[in-house]
Amino acid sequence: MKKLFLVFIVIFLAVVIFSGLGNDQYAIEKRFWGLQKRAEKVFTNPAASPPMELERVAGLFQAFIKKFPNNQLSLQSEFVIARLYMVKEEYDKARVQLKAVLDKYSKSQAICSEAVFLAGNSYEIEGKWGPALEQYKTIIKEYPLTLRGFSTPVYIAQHYKIKYQPDKMITAFQEAIAHYRQLADKYAGSPAAYQAEALIAQCYMALKDWPAAIAAFNATIEKFKGKVPGDGALLRIALIYKNELKDNVKAKQVLEQLIKDYPQSRFLKSAEALLKEAGGK
Amino acid sequence: MKSKKSDPLSTGKVYAAAIGYLRKNSAIFIPFFIFFIFDFISLAVLYLAPRMPLKLLFGPPIRTFWGEEFLHYPMNFLLLSQLSSLSRMVIGVVFGSLLTGMAVAMISDVYNKKQIHLKDSFKASLKRYFDLFAIVLIFTLLFYFLQKFAVWGLVKYFVSGRQRLFFVGAKLWLGPGLLCLNFILAAFIQAAFVYAIPFIIIGKNKLFKSMIKSFGLFGKFFIRTLILVSLPMFVYIPISILQSKSSILITKFFPESVLLLLILGSLISSLVIDLLVTVSTTCLYLMNEEKIGTK
Repeated sequence: MKKLFLVFIVIFLAVVIFSGLGNDQYAIEKRFWGLQKRAEKVFTNPAASPPMELERVAGLFQAFIKKFPNNQLSLQSEFVIARLYMVKEEYDKARVQLKAVLDKYSKSQAICSEAVFLAGNSYEIEGKWGPALEQYKTIIKEYPLTLRGFSTPVYIAQHYKIKYQPDKMITAFQEAIAHYRQLADKYAGSPAAYQAEALIAQCYMALKDWPAAIAAFNATIEKFKGKVPGDGALLRIALIYKNELKDNVKAKQVLEQLIKDYPQSRFLKSAEALLKEAGGK
Repeated sequence: MKSKKSDPLSTGKVYAAAIGYLRKNSAIFIPFFIFFIFDFISLAVLYLAPRMPLKLLFGPPIRTFWGEEFLHYPMNFLLLSQLSSLSRMVIGVVFGSLLTGMAVAMISDVYNKKQIHLKDSFKASLKRYFDLFAIVLIFTLLFYFLQKFAVWGLVKYFVSGRQRLFFVGAKLWLGPGLLCLNFILAAFIQAAFVYAIPFIIIGKNKLFKSMIKSFGLFGKFFIRTLILVSLPMFVYIPISILQSKSSILITKFFPESVLLLLILGSLISSLVIDLLVTVSTTCLYLMNEEKIGTK
């Protein structure tokens, strides 16, 4: 019995020591978390943290990247370094860091698009919209099929909206629509085309061009019939009819179509409630 | 004027006797300490569960029931409280039943002025292991499901659109309210079952008879039993509150603080609460037996 107990203790201790000392993914995450905590101090109060501290934290992240070059967290570290320079208003250093990311990960469109976007942000924070716009246009041109590539045209238009520049906003939305239409034609039938079609409708909605938005939603439903459920788009159309065009008859028709065509839809409850409001069953 | 005769089974006297036994016979601590060791080992294993080689064993169930994120630092600490409470239940049923039986046998020996023999107490407990196992299992499952039912009921009540229950809003009910509810549930269920093990080990009763007799004795000493059971449990309230705020502990302090809190909780629970509840209620059981016997 005593021997058995001793064997158990030895095995347990071996497992504990072995698990605790290993340099596995968990250990790397733990180390990264510690670094993030140090970075957090700079992020929360950049004015109060001395330049030495910034360099020290950036150096720690660099060492981490060097030690675990192939780890996903190293990529995150690269971006954290750039953001650290940005909050400390050292924009040139941030852009140098992002350029290095661009060179290092040149094969990954998604990573590159994020790096260029952050570089654009750095110009924007600095108050230099011209170079920022240049960076954003690079994303649209070079990485159109990435998540950032899809969202950047709308981002530009939103910028003008926030800055109360309606003419530029309208132009930007029109440019976005043209860009998405081009993508939808080029990659017809693909998920990218679906995404582009949905964004066209959203741009029309932002422009408050309701008939064009309805037409865009209908075109999406038609083009992707049998591939992607159109219940979401139908609900949006119904909402436009009801809330924007004040046409309850049309709204009712669309909602009834939604309920009939998609009896298992996750929007069923919302559709039924809207139908009731619109004076339906 | 007639002087008021003091109750020989008053809570104060029971506690005085219990503490006296503990001071003179430190061996009574042993079963509770062994339980703490088991709990500590399980905590260590759960803490290391996201790391190799234990990840090979614990990774798939954690991934399936809770999600991949809980196998990563520091998210694993958010799950640690829940996992440790589940493991504590299993350890409680499998080993805790046996060790409590052993402790009750030891207290009985002390009460009857006999020499304590760990081996004999262990054997006495082992002989009735099936009954002890069953009683702790019933008690644990009852508490577990009632707790779940309380959460389910409250969530369902507030999700259905109601704003208040007994003038109290959802936020309070689902936060501190649940803590209080769990405390009351734990106190009542434990108080109802607390004499079952003395009835099995000392009274040599069968499983169901001991359960019924335990309910009877709880009924007889309702307030006293509730005090003996719930008073030590108050010590655990700060731990429970902190455990429910694991995410704050992780972000404001450091993730490992959750582990330290759980170890402290285990220490308090095993070496203070379980110890005091078992010794005091067994004392009350024995004093009551003696009183009935001498009547």
